[in-house]
Amino acid sequence: MSRKPNNSRQTRALLATLLDRSQTWRHGYDLAKETGLKSGTLYPLLIRLSEQGLLESRWQEAERPGLPPRHVYRLTASGRALAREQELAAIAAERAGALA
Amino acid sequence: MNVSPGWWRRWAVKLAQHAVWVLPGAQSPWVEAMRRELDYIEDDRAALRWAVGCVFASYKARLAGLPRIRGRVGRGAVLQHAATSGALMLVVGLALLENAGGQTEPPRPVFDETTCDRPDLSPDIDPILSSGTVSVPRDIDHSAPKPDTSCADRIAPIAFPPKYRKP
Repeated sequence: MSRKPNNSRQTRALLATLLDRSQTWRHGYDLAKETGLKSGTLYPLLIRLSEQGLLESRWQEAERPGLPPRHVYRLTASGRALAREQELAAIAAERAGALA
Repeated sequence: MNVSPGWWRRWAVKLAQHAVWVLPGAQSPWVEAMRRELDYIEDDRAALRWAVGCVFASYKARLAGLPRIRGRVGRGAVLQHAATSGALMLVVGLALLENAGGQTEPPRPVFDETTCDRPDLSPDIDPILSSGTVSVPRDIDHSAPKPDTSCADRIAPIAFPPKYRKP
C-alpha cells in the first residue's frame, strides 16, 4: 500500500501555516516557531515541497544593515490548491468524527 | 557548570558550518539558508538547537539525494560518515563541557608582608640592614601555631672587634 504524499501531520501543519498568509513571503525561523517544527524536520519538508513545485523560494535582502539576506518561502498556486484541499479534508474528517 | 554565553553561539556556528560542508552542490542554498537564519536568532541556546537541526536536515537531504544505483553501499558510507562525525562532535562537545567550568586559574597563595622586629643591631651596620620582612601566606591553617615574627632566633648584637669600631 503506498502512502499518500504530503499527508503527514508535519506537512499538513506546514501547509496550513503557509496557506494562512499565502501571499506573504515567510522565513524559516518564523515558520519553525509557528508550526512548532524543529529545523531538522522543517527544512527537509520545505525542500520536498519545493521539488514538487508546491513552494517557491527566493533570497530577500535584510531589513537591517549588517545582516545577511534571508531565504523566504511561499506556496505556489498548486501548493495553495493542495493546502486548501487538505484543509477541507481535515474539516470533513472532523465533522465525520463529531457525527459518529 | 558555568558556560559562557558565547559558548552556545560558537558551537551553533560550528555546527552550521559542518552542515554546509555536508551538503555541497545543488541543495547547498537550502543549508546556506538555514545557516543564515542563525544570525536572526537572538537566543544563543535556540541558535544551538537550530544548528543541530541544520546538521540533521543536511544529512537527511544528502541521504535522500544519493543516486539509487549506489544503493546500500552509498547509503552505508554516508551513514558511517554521519555516525563518525556525530560521535566526534559529541566527544569534542563533552570534552569542552568538562573543561568549561575550570577555565579559571587555580588560586595562588597571597602573601602578607609582615615586618619583623629588628634585632638589636650594632650601630655600625645599622644603615645596611634597614628592615626585614617575612612572607606569610594568608590562607594558612590558623589552628597551627602562628609563625614567629619576633626574629628571636636571630643572634643578638654583633660585637665587632675593637679595630673595626668607629672611633
